[in-house]
Amino acid sequence: MIGALLSYGAFFMTTALIYAIVCLGLNVQWGQTGLFNVGVAGFVAIGAYVSALLTTPAAPGRFAGFDLPIAIGWLGGAVIAGLLSFLLGALTIRLRADYLAIATFGAAVVIHLCMLNLQSLTGGPFGIGFIPRPFASYAGEPLEFGFLNLALLAGVVLMLYLSLERLLRSPWGRVLRAIREDEAAALALGKNSIRFRLQAFAVGGAIMGLAGAAQAHFIGFIAPDNYQPTLTFQVWAMLIVGGSGNNRGAVLGAIVVWAVWAISGGAIAAIFPAGEQARAASLQIVLIGLALCAILLWRPRGILGEVKIVSRHLAGLSAQRAQPSFAVKDERLDGEKT
Amino acid sequence: MTAQALETRALVAGYERDLPIVRGVDLNVRAGEFVVLLGPNGAGKSTLVKAIAGLVPIHAGAVLINGEDSTFSPPHQKIRRGLAFVPQTENVFATLTIEENLRLAADILPNNVRARRIDELYAMFPDLAARPSRRAGQLSGGQRQMLAAARALIVAPSLLILDEPSAGLSPKIAAEVFARLQAINATGVTIVLVEQNVKAALAVASRAVILVEGEARHEGSAAELADDPIVAELYLGAAKAGA
Amino acid sequence: MSLQVVIDGLVAGAMIGLGAIGVTLTYSILRFANFAHGEFIAWGAYFALAVSGFLGVLAPSLATPIGPFSFGWSLPIAALGAIALTAALALLVDALLFGPLRAKGGAIIILVMASFGAALTLRNLLEFIFTSRPAYYAEGLQIALRFGGVRATPDALLCLGVAAIVVVAMRFLIAKTAIGRAMRATSENPQLAGLAGVDIRKIVRIVWILGAGLAAIAGIMVGLLVQIRPTMGLDLLLPLFAAAILGGIGSAPGALLGGLIVGLAESITVRLIGAEWRAAVAFVILVAILLLRPSGLFGRPE
Repeated sequence: MIGALLSYGAFFMTTALIYAIVCLGLNVQWGQTGLFNVGVAGFVAIGAYVSALLTTPAAPGRFAGFDLPIAIGWLGGAVIAGLLSFLLGALTIRLRADYLAIATFGAAVVIHLCMLNLQSLTGGPFGIGFIPRPFASYAGEPLEFGFLNLALLAGVVLMLYLSLERLLRSPWGRVLRAIREDEAAALALGKNSIRFRLQAFAVGGAIMGLAGAAQAHFIGFIAPDNYQPTLTFQVWAMLIVGGSGNNRGAVLGAIVVWAVWAISGGAIAAIFPAGEQARAASLQIVLIGLALCAILLWRPRGILGEVKIVSRHLAGLSAQRAQPSFAVKDERLDGEKT
Repeated sequence: MTAQALETRALVAGYERDLPIVRGVDLNVRAGEFVVLLGPNGAGKSTLVKAIAGLVPIHAGAVLINGEDSTFSPPHQKIRRGLAFVPQTENVFATLTIEENLRLAADILPNNVRARRIDELYAMFPDLAARPSRRAGQLSGGQRQMLAAARALIVAPSLLILDEPSAGLSPKIAAEVFARLQAINATGVTIVLVEQNVKAALAVASRAVILVEGEARHEGSAAELADDPIVAELYLGAAKAGA
Repeated sequence: MSLQVVIDGLVAGAMIGLGAIGVTLTYSILRFANFAHGEFIAWGAYFALAVSGFLGVLAPSLATPIGPFSFGWSLPIAALGAIALTAALALLVDALLFGPLRAKGGAIIILVMASFGAALTLRNLLEFIFTSRPAYYAEGLQIALRFGGVRATPDALLCLGVAAIVVVAMRFLIAKTAIGRAMRATSENPQLAGLAGVDIRKIVRIVWILGAGLAAIAGIMVGLLVQIRPTMGLDLLLPLFAAAILGGIGSAPGALLGGLIVGLAESITVRLIGAEWRAAVAFVILVAILLLRPSGLFGRPE
């Protein structure tokens, strides 16, 4: 009984930490460069599929299957996801924030389509199975297996967290900060803001790919339907709850929101009869969606306090209320309060 | 007692909550007056009139238009109380034609007077009548100011507030603008003007209020202030000792 | 043969175009990309399904098909109800979510985020209520009419006709009426519009009502010509944005034209490459437009 509970606990934390990796990647994109990426699921998927293709043995009717070690798979997943992020960013980074959102959304749709349709590459709607799992030799002992995997993921998250904190304080990170706080001044100093933001976008994408790879190997099989807008939405909820611009918040948010998700999922599954599980899942998303909207409405400035972009047009629309809203400035990205 | 055309009481206003630009201004404008607001850059003249018009958040104090508390009224209600405001920039709809700009402004008037008012304004500004289907964005600076003023006048306001109407205009056209304003004031419309062009403004106004650092420091009739060394000091930076 | 591709493309394009008009209106006046617009389309379709089903039960004669069409009077009547209900839904979402966010002086991107969240909520609420099983307004197949070498069902031709009428009406509303002037003025400069006497809150309400009404009509058309599913809005979202941006944000005729172009491109792609790649077409068009001419065909250059 204790064993089962501990096993579940390890499974829960491992999944939460995988989400934490995605959040850390998203934080690089949003927290450092203010880019609203609505295609998160797509980059996670790319990491997963690349890693799967690199590490699974060859299968009939499907290209690739190089049977390489897991570490290579993870690395490959991160690199390819990072490259594709760079490509997408190169096309779209000069766009307005909301056009970028639409473009990233579209990218995720296309990625999903490729995964469904390029059957000779991706296995189509059925996905790829038999993905090698870390510590596979322990598969027979669920407790040890669970905790070894948890330890691995925890190690990865820790390393990532420390590296990102280092990166933020490095010259590169300082330039990004400068660009975020006063783009005009940074440009005047000769810093090519586009290039830096593009790099940040690619780094964020690579981290998301790493998470996808890690998850693929943890679960053992992947399919296109694992990477839907719901995933993007979950990650955004985690980042918003945890506090963006803040790596600690990314990890914490992932754990908290995943806990809420798991608990609500369990509660709803218990309430609804077996035949209605699909509907129950929908209700769960509805409740989480409402909660996210509520947080956006009532969040104290602190949670998304890093971002002070305000819009004159919106202020004009609201001038009809008791008073026009404060901070009527042109759209700009402001940094933290010093 | 007749109500003041415009009154502000200890008005505090500014774009950001912790940074008020207008710091407690008492303004009293009687009906029919022509008051000009002067002051160095950043004194808060523009912010003050924008706050009165409802474009800048008011932190504290009150604004009364024709005696009615309008502190938190939305702009479209203030216009119905007789206030018309002409901002300094972006004061016409560039993507609408001249005709559409005027018609939009006239839409709040009753049906039967709309067409007449538009015709009256075309008569007042023949330049605009010449090409009514021209997009406002294609007009010259002076024509745009005319359209902005026409837009404001079409509702026959009792209180007209303008923010630096002569900015960016040649001296000749600026002089025309001031002459027109004087003529409009002569018909009984109260005018409050924010201006940098001190000399020209004092020539047409009846009274001036000088704002410095968000407060109303000096006041006086236009004639008095025209010779006042304080004014000269503010604008020429030359302190006349003992004058 | 190729003319059939054109007809199919125009029919699909008309539906995309109608939805895109709603997107372009809210985008130009409320200045944010509303990811939840697709869900107004879906909810419109489902509202009509529920009401028409109810009417069909109440008075079975209403369900008998009218002439060559596949549906009875229950659907057009239900459509009116659906338009009203979808408009109410949009006003509710604005009152609860977008309005308060605007008033807090927030960034536009927060609105986009919220719309994404609202979209997910609305979509899954539909799935919860109706399940993900596809639904239809009427059973039975339709006989396609043949003329000049192409085939089109009476339903499809009706939808084309309705779309044309709606677009003409919208163009007239925006270009020639006082409300249209007020909307254009608000889109350009809401502060100045307020100074000129425009009641901005009223304009915002009208924009939501129009946008949601158009979405409902588009949803009913899609439901009629294809099928009704909870994900029908999500599937249309990318083509909607592509069409609205292609046409130029703020231009209703542009949105319809953009929709027709997207529809035609999809139809041609389906013929040449295969139906499974249909969804990628909108993305390609979107990226092309954003790179080459972000202001679109009829839009104002930023």
